Amino acid sequence: MSELTLLVLQLGFLLLLWVFVFAIVYSLRSDLFGQRVRKLQPDAAAASAGPAPAASATAPTSAVSKPAPPPAAGGGDATSDNASRLVITSGAKSGAEFPLGRDEITIGRSSDSAIIIRDDYTSTHHARLMLWNGRWMIQDLDSTNGTFLNGSRVTVPMPIPLGATVKVGATTFELRR
Amino acid sequence: MTDRSAARAPERAPATGSVRRIRMPQKLRNLELGLLIVACVINAGAIVLVQLGALGRIDTQLVLLGAGLSVLVFGLHVAMRFVARDADPFLLPIATVLNGLGIAMIYRIDIAYGDAGWESAAVRQIVWSVIAIVAALATILLIRNHRTLFRYTYLSGLIAIVLLLLPLVPGLGQTRGGARVWIGIGDLVTFQPGEIAKIALAVFFAGYLVRNRDSLSMVGRTFLGMRFPRGRDLGPLLVVWALSMAVIVFQRDLGTALLYFGLFLVMLYVATSRLSWVVLGLSMFFAGAIIASQTLDYVNGRFQNWLNAFDPAVYDAQGGSFQLVQGLFGLANGGLIGTGLGQGRPDLTPVPQSDYIIASLGEELGLAGLFAILALYVLFVARGFRIGFAGQDDFGKLLGVGLSFVVALQVFIVVGGVTRVIPLTGLTTPFLAAGGSSLVANWIIVALLLRLSDTVRNHPRLVIDG
Repeated sequence: MSELTLLVLQLGFLLLLWVFVFAIVYSLRSDLFGQRVRKLQPDAAAASAGPAPAASATAPTSAVSKPAPPPAAGGGDATSDNASRLVITSGAKSGAEFPLGRDEITIGRSSDSAIIIRDDYTSTHHARLMLWNGRWMIQDLDSTNGTFLNGSRVTVPMPIPLGATVKVGATTFELRR
Repeated sequence: MTDRSAARAPERAPATGSVRRIRMPQKLRNLELGLLIVACVINAGAIVLVQLGALGRIDTQLVLLGAGLSVLVFGLHVAMRFVARDADPFLLPIATVLNGLGIAMIYRIDIAYGDAGWESAAVRQIVWSVIAIVAALATILLIRNHRTLFRYTYLSGLIAIVLLLLPLVPGLGQTRGGARVWIGIGDLVTFQPGEIAKIALAVFFAGYLVRNRDSLSMVGRTFLGMRFPRGRDLGPLLVVWALSMAVIVFQRDLGTALLYFGLFLVMLYVATSRLSWVVLGLSMFFAGAIIASQTLDYVNGRFQNWLNAFDPAVYDAQGGSFQLVQGLFGLANGGLIGTGLGQGRPDLTPVPQSDYIIASLGEELGLAGLFAILALYVLFVARGFRIGFAGQDDFGKLLGVGLSFVVALQVFIVVGGVTRVIPLTGLTTPFLAAGGSSLVANWIIVALLLRLSDTVRNHPRLVIDG
């Protein structure tokens, strides 16, 4: 094996190492943590796919699920049995859905919240939804601008009726079947 | 999105039967597969280049052994397709490349020493890698959610203490290179329990700080623009400080002490976001280290070797700076692109396959290769931090940050020691250096980070930009 061949092989090996490094860096570029958004309107889904390609990496393609019939107004309290999703009714992402599981859902500006709302009216840790004896409750976490349930400010944890409007900053949402 | 949520979907959807289950292509896993293939090509290439450079021919035996290792890594990958589909796709390929480069370099040292068969450190390293990857696989399969670890906070604290004390047990503990950090029966099977202890400590610190951080962060007096904690809240810091000092005095291991103490300080800082803890902790550690350097011979020797490495008296002394200076000469000999794998003389430095593997790699791969390796470490640690920060629960956050910081600090202590930035202390380079316990511990860290990233991504989220 001549010295020149070995030198060429060595350079090739170093090149391969750096190709590996840059392959990782290149993939990292698009690998921001996925945002899971279920959309009702197909046009909204298309709009969000543009600016956030990372979302499409992990977001479900089941976004095209059928819009459910509008909820019966004045239904009873939302429980783990009768409520299955949280629907944004006004604000930047109007129409977006969030599945309700059994975990509590934190709402705020910080990136560790389950529902992240980045606007001027939302506090870092604004409010949270939690299951209390099977009922969905909303609790305000000492937010600056308050959380409103059907127009009245939430001071103590309150049960959320199905279809009732909850307002956090400029965003409103309701719990639906 | 995974099957888990897909399975939930039919309950939500109207029962028309028109909603078909859509199987998501596993983009992350496919990306990982691609990177793993490149990683295995790099590893095989490294071994072949070593053989061409040092022997002048290709010996298929070791290439086959290395291929067996690749099969195992792919096994881990396939397992993750089922149990951790949304895990981070970069950790596994990075760990594979580092592990493989380590094996190639250890094999190169074996050739220089003329070791073969079970005498060969490379064969032992491959066997340990197999054990380590199986341990990682077991970790991923057993721990389905990192929050289960939260329940065992105090148990893992106890395990860490027991593991740390094991080498001091007469008959079981062994002293090597001045440090009493080994356990083993004869020379046959030896293990460094401190390596596993660092994982247990990270779990313990994370759990403990999540439970108690309010009292550590909320109260205190302001002094010099920083809020200092109350005297009675200093307990945990003092305990960990005493623990690290005990490691310095009784186990004669400077690096490990620095590692544990640094881990605790960083996790404390992340948990409380108060700089005063770091200031207090660092001044305590440096005070302790300075006292130790005045009173303990071996610490003083390390400082002398570091400050006056090129003094002929220090260079020639027993336990002097010979090793450090040889390592530096090796790095200088490597230059920009290195001498080529198998063509340098890394064997002139004592222990070139474990403590000094960075110098050996630096000599044969040069600055270009060494920086590629450091870049891989940076990416690994950055991914770990990212996983930690993205976590929704505080325990996961602290654990992610703690585990990746352990790797970062260890690399800094080793590379800093070899390149004479800080005094040299005997720690293993994660994934690269010859040593079974270190490999097992670091692969378990990989497994925990993978599990953590999978949980984090599986958590549903919605982002609304106003």
